[in-house]
Amino acid sequence: MTRSRFRLHRISVSLAVLAFLTAAPAFPSGFQVMTQGAKATGMGLAFTAVAVDPSAIFYNPAGLGWQKHFVAQIGSEFLSKVKGDFEGANPYPGVGVTEKQHKTTFVVPNLYAVAPLTSEINFGLGINSPYGLGYRWDDAENFSGRFVAQNAVIQSVDLNPVLSFQATPEFAIAIGADYRVSKVQLEKNQAGVNPFTQSVVDIAHVKLNSDIQDNHGWGWNAGIMFRPMPQFSFGAAYRSKIKMDYDGRATFQQRLTGDPRFDAAVAAQLPTGEHPVKTFIEFPASLNLGTAFTFPGDFLLSLEADWTQWSSFNALDIHFTDLVGRVPDLHRETDWKNSWAYRIGFEKKFARFALRGGYYRDKTPQPLADAGPILADNDRDAFSLGFGYNTEHWGVDIADLYLKVKDIDTRGVSHDRFYGVYKEAVNIFAFSLRLSF
Amino acid sequence: MNTRNFRAAAFAGALVLAGIAAAPSPLAAQTTFHKYVALGDSITAGVQGACLVGRNQQTAYPKLVAESLGITDFQTPLVAESATVTNPASACLGARLVGTSILPGPVSQPGGPLNGTLARPYDNLGIPFARVRDLVDLKNSNPAGGGVQTAAALVLRNFTGSPFAGLSAVDEANLLSPSPDLVSLWIGNNDVLGAATSGVAIDGVTVTTKADFDAKYAEVVAGIQHSGRTLVFLNIPDVTAIPFATTIPIQRTVGANTIRFLGPRTTDTCSTAPCPLPDGTLLTLQAQALLAQGVGIPVAAGGTGQPLPDGGFDPTTGILTPGVILYPAEISLLQSRTNEYNATIGAAAAANGGILVDVHEIFNDAKTNGFSIAGINLTTGLLVGGLFSADGVHPSNVGQAIVADEIIKALNRVAGTDYPEPNFATALFTVNVPPGTATLSANELWQSLLANLPEGILVALPTEERAAPMVPARPHRTRRTERREPSR
Repeated sequence: MTRSRFRLHRISVSLAVLAFLTAAPAFPSGFQVMTQGAKATGMGLAFTAVAVDPSAIFYNPAGLGWQKHFVAQIGSEFLSKVKGDFEGANPYPGVGVTEKQHKTTFVVPNLYAVAPLTSEINFGLGINSPYGLGYRWDDAENFSGRFVAQNAVIQSVDLNPVLSFQATPEFAIAIGADYRVSKVQLEKNQAGVNPFTQSVVDIAHVKLNSDIQDNHGWGWNAGIMFRPMPQFSFGAAYRSKIKMDYDGRATFQQRLTGDPRFDAAVAAQLPTGEHPVKTFIEFPASLNLGTAFTFPGDFLLSLEADWTQWSSFNALDIHFTDLVGRVPDLHRETDWKNSWAYRIGFEKKFARFALRGGYYRDKTPQPLADAGPILADNDRDAFSLGFGYNTEHWGVDIADLYLKVKDIDTRGVSHDRFYGVYKEAVNIFAFSLRLSF
Repeated sequence: MNTRNFRAAAFAGALVLAGIAAAPSPLAAQTTFHKYVALGDSITAGVQGACLVGRNQQTAYPKLVAESLGITDFQTPLVAESATVTNPASACLGARLVGTSILPGPVSQPGGPLNGTLARPYDNLGIPFARVRDLVDLKNSNPAGGGVQTAAALVLRNFTGSPFAGLSAVDEANLLSPSPDLVSLWIGNNDVLGAATSGVAIDGVTVTTKADFDAKYAEVVAGIQHSGRTLVFLNIPDVTAIPFATTIPIQRTVGANTIRFLGPRTTDTCSTAPCPLPDGTLLTLQAQALLAQGVGIPVAAGGTGQPLPDGGFDPTTGILTPGVILYPAEISLLQSRTNEYNATIGAAAAANGGILVDVHEIFNDAKTNGFSIAGINLTTGLLVGGLFSADGVHPSNVGQAIVADEIIKALNRVAGTDYPEPNFATALFTVNVPPGTATLSANELWQSLLANLPEGILVALPTEERAAPMVPARPHRTRRTERREPSR
């Protein structure tokens, strides 16, 4: 009986997050996805001191203190990699080698609801995907970095209930719990040296995959908002780190080389089939600090600095639990650094309409030497434009954000010894629909 | 050319993965090199699988460096190769399937020189078997003399009647026109390697004394040092860390029992020989054939109870009897001597404003951690590791490319140049097999290998065991070597 209920619980969890997980996030800073609302996206994500819609649950839950109605908001981001090219260099993979990333548009939905409990206390619930990664290479079987990774995916869904308390008309505070479910996937080929030809060949395909119901973690978030006057606000939001322990499966599938002598030797040693595997990711803590000014003429200017404790992601370890002595564990020193992002955004209102824009410079947490086929990141510049229409009972916002990643030149520095230049650009379109009751 | 001698080229080098140590360099920034000459031994020559053939000479590091420098006229003393193995004792080694084991075996036959009539010295002056003294002292070679004599006859062509007679390797390097503005020097491997491969480490016999090495190295450097010339110095790897000496374990596990193999020396815990090999001992590849016959295995474990041969040197007769065991004291001598050589090499680089490529450091790192290229994890394992050729001594194409890459990176960093690094992909993915297929049957293969101990290399993959020998092995042969005074 207990087992049945447990299974039911697992199934229900799976179904609840399915819609969010199937929309794999991608193209984050590090693998953080800050575009969790169209209004914020239009303002270049400088939203911590603004937080005037239900997406405040993500950006700064203290902003709920000034939201006095039941509000529900649903939205989605459409993330498209408009450029994902790699130009190889010597010594490997070599000058003249070019590779392309798979250009898929990922759909990342979000859902927020705010319910006033008292005149000072609000309850909010958010479901979104603040962390994720989708890094997949075209022509994976011939991709020159296929022995590092062909496809790397991190998917996560957060269930984020919060309570806000407006202590004074000028000041509010909020705290929430952050329940995260997540899954990871890594695909690569395994290389071997054919002793008969003294050449490197593909001997297996390895797929590491975790199930969503087995992997979850808890954290918390909090925020404060200070509005001493209508024209000025200051906000701060903190989100704790969450350590996720993943239990998954490793599947080894032999790739035949065409040399029966060697293939037989590989078959005798390859642990074909599924094997349990463990890994973990420590998602970073973050602290966002913002201030906003409203000038005459309904012109809002928002400035923000965001700090993310990416140093928590200092290594990637994958442990093959039943293959000790047969398959070496994977260990990758990532050595990421804490990073800052600097954002500026504006909103100009025209009665029910609003025009928004923004810019930000996001410093990469990833050392250049760590950039590789799993993920190559660099400092990025983002430009956004947004539009909103609001009535008393509903509102809609749309935004588009173009993100240009500084070229990632790993020549001479790549820890993977996979040298070349990555050129990436991303476009993110967002919309939100809001209903007030 | 007496091709049989190149089989023993397994005794002539050590693998190398190069890196850069401190590059002291008062070098004047130089943007272009016009002429490059490489001085060295069998590694420089391009020996792989215990033989020298054009297939591997064209992928040796000097050729790759020349290509990166944009030098098109880089001449190597190329040797022909035949697909048919006519003399297994002098054949090139590659991987062969014998029963269920993958073993090194003959796959092709070296032939004669392909460009022996070149009217000028070669640019690759790597001489198999050469010790440091040979670069300055060997001025008249004997094509039929075997070993370094035969090799020098191919590379230097300084035999009687040749226009190069009376010229050493250093002389020929200086004779090139235009005068080389870049010289690489990688010599000294054979001054310790013979001890590792013969299992007999005796100072002054199988190991060159430090005094002799220092004197001859200084002579070589003085000979190649010219104004306006950039010198690249490569030091010596730990020859006790090559697959030839690390593949065969000193014990095996049968069920719950661990069987330590037997040697002829007494130990702290064993006063009557034969005794279990002490911790820290190494066995050479030749031990595998003997173990397969039960030699070195206690009677209680199904063996003969006879010890594995230690080898030795008789100073009165000058006879060197190779063994298969490197005891810890011998290993210590080889490692300390290598360190002394490397101190000399480093000092020479510093004193002459040269560039030092720290092969020793990078090789040790590769032995400990492997060498990964974009997820392709290469190791120093025999046959399947990817860094060594089938003889367990000389670097593979990948190993050669790594050395070339380190040289180019050193030049770019120190000399301020921007030469392209070699392309590892070519070395990694290009099939390196002889033209055609060797025709020996499995039984012929075994006979050929066992008949030629100790020069023959016989080994199974580390995880495999061969139950019984297919044919009896011949008694251990002895080899006469030059009689030398022991060092003091």
